[in-house]
Amino acid sequence: MALQQVPAVKDLLRKCVRCGKCRSVCPIFKEIKNEGAAPRAHVFLTQLMRDGELGATADVAERASRCLLCKSCSKECPSGIPVDQMVVAMRHHLHDLNNDTTKKLMLNHMFKDRKALGRARFLLQSYQSTGIKSLVQKTGVLGLVSKDLDKANKLIAPVSGTMASKNIPETAPAKGKRKIRVGYFLGCATNMFYPKRARDTVEVLTANNCEVFTPSDLHCCGMPHIANGDAESAAAMTRHNFKIFFDAGVDVIISDCASCSSMLQGDYYDQLFQELPEEIAHFKGKIYDLNKFLIDHVDLNNDLGQLPAVKVTYHDPCHLVKSQGVTKEPRQLLNMVPGVELVEMVGADQCCGGAGTFSMGHYDLSRKILDRKIQAIEDTGAEILTTSCPACSMQLGHGLNEHAMPLTVKHPVEFLAEAYRQAKRSTKIS
Amino acid sequence: MQNEQLVKDLQAILGSAKVLSEKLDLLSYSYDSSFMARNNRFVPDVVITPTSTEEVSKVMKYAFNNNISVTPRGAGSGETCGSLAIQGGIVMDLATWDTIEEIDAENMQVQMRPGVIHAELNKRLAEYGLFFPPDPGSSQMCTVGGMVANNSSGLRAVKYGTTEQYVLGLEVVLPNGEVIVTGGVNCRAIKNVSGLNLTKLFVGSEGTLGIITKIRLRLWPKPKARGILMAVFNDLEQAPQAVLDVYKGGILPSGIEILDSSAIKAVNEYKPDINLPNAEAILLYELDGNPASVKWEGEEVSRIVGLLAANVEWSTDPQRMSELWQGRAVTATAAARVREDGSRIFAGEDISIPLNKVTESLKKIKEIGKKYGIGVVNYGHIGDGNVHTAPVINPEDPEEVKLGAALADEIHLLAIAMGGVTTGEHGVGAVRSQYARKEHGAALDVMQSIKRTLDPKNIMNPGKLLPEEGNKHGTSTSSGS
Ligand SMILES: Cc1cc2nc3c(=O)[nH]c(=O)nc-3n(C[C@H](O)[C@H](O)[C@H](O)COP(=O)(O)OP(=O)(O)OC[C@H]3O[C@@H](n4cnc5c(N)ncnc54)[C@H](O)[C@@H]3O)c2cc1C
Ligand code: SF4
Ligand code: SF4
Repeated sequence: MALQQVPAVKDLLRKCVRCGKCRSVCPIFKEIKNEGAAPRAHVFLTQLMRDGELGATADVAERASRCLLCKSCSKECPSGIPVDQMVVAMRHHLHDLNNDTTKKLMLNHMFKDRKALGRARFLLQSYQSTGIKSLVQKTGVLGLVSKDLDKANKLIAPVSGTMASKNIPETAPAKGKRKIRVGYFLGCATNMFYPKRARDTVEVLTANNCEVFTPSDLHCCGMPHIANGDAESAAAMTRHNFKIFFDAGVDVIISDCASCSSMLQGDYYDQLFQELPEEIAHFKGKIYDLNKFLIDHVDLNNDLGQLPAVKVTYHDPCHLVKSQGVTKEPRQLLNMVPGVELVEMVGADQCCGGAGTFSMGHYDLSRKILDRKIQAIEDTGAEILTTSCPACSMQLGHGLNEHAMPLTVKHPVEFLAEAYRQAKRSTKIS
Repeated sequence: MQNEQLVKDLQAILGSAKVLSEKLDLLSYSYDSSFMARNNRFVPDVVITPTSTEEVSKVMKYAFNNNISVTPRGAGSGETCGSLAIQGGIVMDLATWDTIEEIDAENMQVQMRPGVIHAELNKRLAEYGLFFPPDPGSSQMCTVGGMVANNSSGLRAVKYGTTEQYVLGLEVVLPNGEVIVTGGVNCRAIKNVSGLNLTKLFVGSEGTLGIITKIRLRLWPKPKARGILMAVFNDLEQAPQAVLDVYKGGILPSGIEILDSSAIKAVNEYKPDINLPNAEAILLYELDGNPASVKWEGEEVSRIVGLLAANVEWSTDPQRMSELWQGRAVTATAAARVREDGSRIFAGEDISIPLNKVTESLKKIKEIGKKYGIGVVNYGHIGDGNVHTAPVINPEDPEEVKLGAALADEIHLLAIAMGGVTTGEHGVGAVRSQYARKEHGAALDVMQSIKRTLDPKNIMNPGKLLPEEGNKHGTSTSSGS
């Protein structure tokens, strides 16, 4: 869609009064501190581009790349300006003009469909076991992601031996009487890096009368593509994914990944579709973050075993707290589990600086934001860190590693699954 | 001088990291919140971000010797083009210099550099049970340096006054690079009548007399209790009476704010949870002090205001109070919500009127709005007669832009005609200097001679606060609002 036609740009841009409220909440501004890095500068540059006062150049692209799409600004703006949507529109506009084949190649290599993901997993695994050189020689893929391979290397979580999708049946029956057929959107990152989390998700859902449909031929949710200015691919993948769930007749769609669920809920649909395709319209209002779904729509099975006492803290992913307003639900889940003590960190809802490929392209900037977060985590004295987004998990895992802190990172659903298993074990013993 | 040379010279003084010369950076310093900045491009030649008095002094010496204008800038939340280089030259961004140097709790003082954000300062002070009372709606974004330069105030000026009442002393770099301290920067006394009051001269000088590099503020104990009373009126005219009645009852609230029907709508659309009742007008009274007096005053104000208002809600619940107060604080920007294709413009937005004429002024502003076919959202600090108005137009429609400018002019003239002033707190900048002769008469000549003495080459934020000399009518050469 041309920049001028993007609804946010066309209808909302003019409402910016340049009050600067967005400056006060932007994690990037907090680090760079000059106006050129402020969200309102993004709005202003979008305006100049729309009006032809500014051309599409590498400099503008670099500016547009300095945004985490964390939505802190959009949430606070009194005029209702979705700054992140403008940044996305700018990136798309620049992408169209510059035809950035490098990024396209990377996105198509790593995140598109399950086959591409499989290839990426293989490459990453050999990369992680054999080192940078051989991988770069073999493929050159990671070299496209980041100029600084050393840093990118540290950021990527260890790839698991088997992808989650290999071990999850396409349809997992409800353990009790089936009440609802749930479509599980198993995102690329959970699939590749956190397979246990995916299995636990299915386990908890089936233990609560849900039949779980996990399609084997899903494409990526499109967030990395949208974030990198490739709206066309994102639109095609979104259509493909919804058709699968539509054809399979699921009642709702859930995801344990904050980015996937916010993308599926339509954060950027205005930019992807002139009119919402029928399959997508059908699901509008029926897409949930896993935590919220469990709390609001499931009569949760309370048969939870006692876990060893543990202190945990929770990090709010931007795509949950700012995009979906989900903040109390994951905490409610944690508080349900016997043995878990939840301690709040200062600024739990502050961005961790990951933002998908952002941390690779802007490692040092991302690292500064991350270091504040790690300090807040350390101050809680927690033994386990929880969050509801695999991208945050990776970024935070990297931060913990760098600070030599021995905390593991989990999704709240993993505690629930463990508590169910524990309950079963105790019944067997008694 | 060629830009390239200017950039090189500044890099030699400051190092390259503190000199911004890329086109996109310069463009990002071409706006503040004013309507005038929306309609013009005031792009500086270079932006610098110094972080020491020495650096500022060196730059000023250099600028003085080479006749280059320098415009200080805080967060750029101002409404009057004050921080824009309307004649080009250097923009000096002081917001990055944000250290709180000393909190002297025993002497109830704080010393800081100019870039400290107002809300951050009060967050830090709260740990000591202290606070800096002036409270602008831009608290989350504006710098204390900007507040001092503008003599800002806000929601609590009724009881606590404006910034000037709290400035004990300043460090200022003069246009020729010389560094002076005024008042109590080097002493800790709270009372000080020694010498001409130079501190007051710089407070509110809007960056036209020098760069403020250090600020010493006196602080107040943070009140232990607070309550907010919301009074709902079906008749706008009753609201100002309800303000006077409370004063007559011997009570001085810390803030009294008004929202008219369109302001109420805007707030409700921005934050539906606040859920203000639909009415002709809402008054918000804030009472603070010790718990017993706040309780008593809350009851008394409820009784007094209840005689006129259709409904009264008194709350000491922190959540509700923060909603209500936040509702008022965001009206300034949220006004844009009342018209789908419109934006609020900051023009003619800050007049100050004698207390007994507030109703009349609000009615007249509505009439002026009607005349131009422009919706105007009214809100403001009714407790001290500082009325804010928010014209909502489509700023991308050239016809409406012209109408907006004419409307602003009429509101300013109305203020003067009613015995008020064109600005109660946002300042003069480039947009209101045209009224200076009308407002100050012969005093304007004195102001200009002070400016000449301190800034003989007129390099310090030129084109702001004072109209160009020799222009007997005081008409500004700038356009847009
Ligand atoms: C939504 C909104 C609400 C507002 N509400 C209020 C309110 O309630 N009350 C109020 O008074 N104002 C209000 N304002 C106006 C503005 O925020 C204040 O005037 C504020 O104090 C400006 O601070 P700043 O750091 O943004 O300064 P800037 O806008 O950057 O600069 C303002 C002026 O100060 C000068 N200046 C800045 N720093 C220095 C320095 N260190 N030395 C010398 N000169 C300097 C600049 O040259 C300029 O003339 C509001 C603005 C907005 C957008
Ligand atoms: S985007 Fe919103 S918060 Fe930021 S300057 Fe514009 S109006 Fe203010
Ligand atoms: S989305 Fe986040 S990083 Fe991007 S401009 Fe807004 S606050 Fe800053």
